[in-house]
Amino acid sequence: MKLKGNESALSPIWNWKITALSFALLFFVAILAISFGPVPLSFQKILRTLFGLSGGLTGQERTLLIDLRLPRALLAALVGAALATSGAVYQTVFRNPLADPYLLGAAAGAGLGATIAITSAGADLYNLLPIFSFIGAILAVLVSFFISGKFFAEPNSLLLSGIAVGSFATAVQTYLQQRNSSSLRPVYSWILGELTVANWQIVTWSAIYILIALTILVTVSKQLDGLMLTDDEAYSLGINPNRLRVIAVIAATLATATAVSASGLIGFVGIVVPHLVRGITHRVTNRGLLTIALVGASFLVLADLGARTLLSPAELPIGVITAFVGAPFFLVVLRKKRLVTQ
Amino acid sequence: MIKVTDLSIRFGSREILKDINVEISDGKWTCLVGPNGAGKTTFLRALLGSQSYSGSITDDGLEVFRNHHRNVAFVPQFPQIPIGMSVSEYVALGRSKRDGWGNESKHSRNLVAEILQITGLFGMQSQYVSQLSGGEMQRALIARALVQEPTLILLDEPTSALDLHHQIAVLNNIELLKERGVTIISTMHDITLAAMYAEKIIVMYEGKVLLDGPSDQVIHSPQLQEAFENRINVFTLDSGRPVIVAKKDLKN
Repeated sequence: MKLKGNESALSPIWNWKITALSFALLFFVAILAISFGPVPLSFQKILRTLFGLSGGLTGQERTLLIDLRLPRALLAALVGAALATSGAVYQTVFRNPLADPYLLGAAAGAGLGATIAITSAGADLYNLLPIFSFIGAILAVLVSFFISGKFFAEPNSLLLSGIAVGSFATAVQTYLQQRNSSSLRPVYSWILGELTVANWQIVTWSAIYILIALTILVTVSKQLDGLMLTDDEAYSLGINPNRLRVIAVIAATLATATAVSASGLIGFVGIVVPHLVRGITHRVTNRGLLTIALVGASFLVLADLGARTLLSPAELPIGVITAFVGAPFFLVVLRKKRLVTQ
Repeated sequence: MIKVTDLSIRFGSREILKDINVEISDGKWTCLVGPNGAGKTTFLRALLGSQSYSGSITDDGLEVFRNHHRNVAFVPQFPQIPIGMSVSEYVALGRSKRDGWGNESKHSRNLVAEILQITGLFGMQSQYVSQLSGGEMQRALIARALVQEPTLILLDEPTSALDLHHQIAVLNNIELLKERGVTIISTMHDITLAAMYAEKIIVMYEGKVLLDGPSDQVIHSPQLQEAFENRINVFTLDSGRPVIVAKKDLKN
């Protein structure tokens, strides 16, 4: 079969301009987020401060930027990237367009961990809340894995055991809350998701775990397409589907557990962002995993800006914003593109 | 040359394949035929190297399990249809082994365009795979296998989803590979079609190899009747081409 001169080649499957564009979007949104607030900061001065040039912000404004807005925007970006990427990866691994990052019990496990930290009277465990919820999330997923046992033969069995473990953890959580009614409010506000706790310490350890997980996922992202086929086909195309599945699920779980312990349960990012990027680019997600991470980051930075400013000086839980804006928007795209079924 | 020695496969207490001994020569089309449940698909998966087995399957002396040294293309009977994937992406996956995953070269993209044309899918490349009809999906699978430029291609019932016209079109496409020295192993329900294209036919029945030889010999062998429980008639057309027809009466 020889090439004929007049046959046009196929255009590249993934256009890297899209990735560059989403990078630019994140940068723009981030600058927007750190300049808006009860005290507006000038664009120019922010840039000068960040790049260490003269004529930047000084005094209180500088403290406001460096100690409050910057870590918060960075945490929002990290959490958004983690949730969107994990969502996309779970959707591929479980061949289920409705899979979300909390599917394997990570959310309920983190919720239980957080509740234990909040309700433990006497000991001041509140500062350890992120660690408790991180351990809770990881434990819940491990238990799901352990119970399902035949992940390789049937990915759906892991999904079902994740749901069962999630229900169990939620039941224990509810029981603990009932016994300590004073804890209801802090647990509730944690469940709705919050980034108010953002400080450089949380940003640093979140960044370490999330960036490790995202690096792994983006590295294997192109091969993930193979998991959308039967295992025999994937094998014939040169990948080991079982090994790839384990790597992908571990990395996605690490990212999710970190995100959930740093910011509570922020819903909808993990489903809406991957489908949005798929719908707009008309490409299956995996090659665009980096783009999904960047769009997820932008989405949450923007949502957090809304959470801080819409009812200023009061603050809305960010989970309310993501669902309130995300759900109708998603439904419009869904209707137009019929994404999920095709 | 692929050499199968004492191949047995069990799923729990069920014995799917029993002591299979065959040799499959390079550059030829070998067809596995037999009734449903004869173990054809399992045999094909073992030849791919993705199914564990006892006994041995060697390809030029090397055991194939998880270790195929050839570029093997696999066309399943029941593919998993990826959600949200376009036809061009789907076919381009065939280049993954050669170019590395997701890094199609310009040459590869030219090849994909060309194969899309050969398989009659050009113009549909931006459609979702899930929107294709059964026949179009089958052609997309074949296209992906052709793009892979394999040296061994394994096809599980490649024509079962196709109408008569497309059966011939697809089989002709596969035959093109033979001219380039590719070894072809397929399962096929339709023995007449098998006899038309394959040089060698292996008849399987309840996990065993009943017959194994050149197509025309196998077709006219009385043991073929045994494999299909005397439910077939073999006729020969004036052109010398054999035709196998099912008997209507199922009592005997």
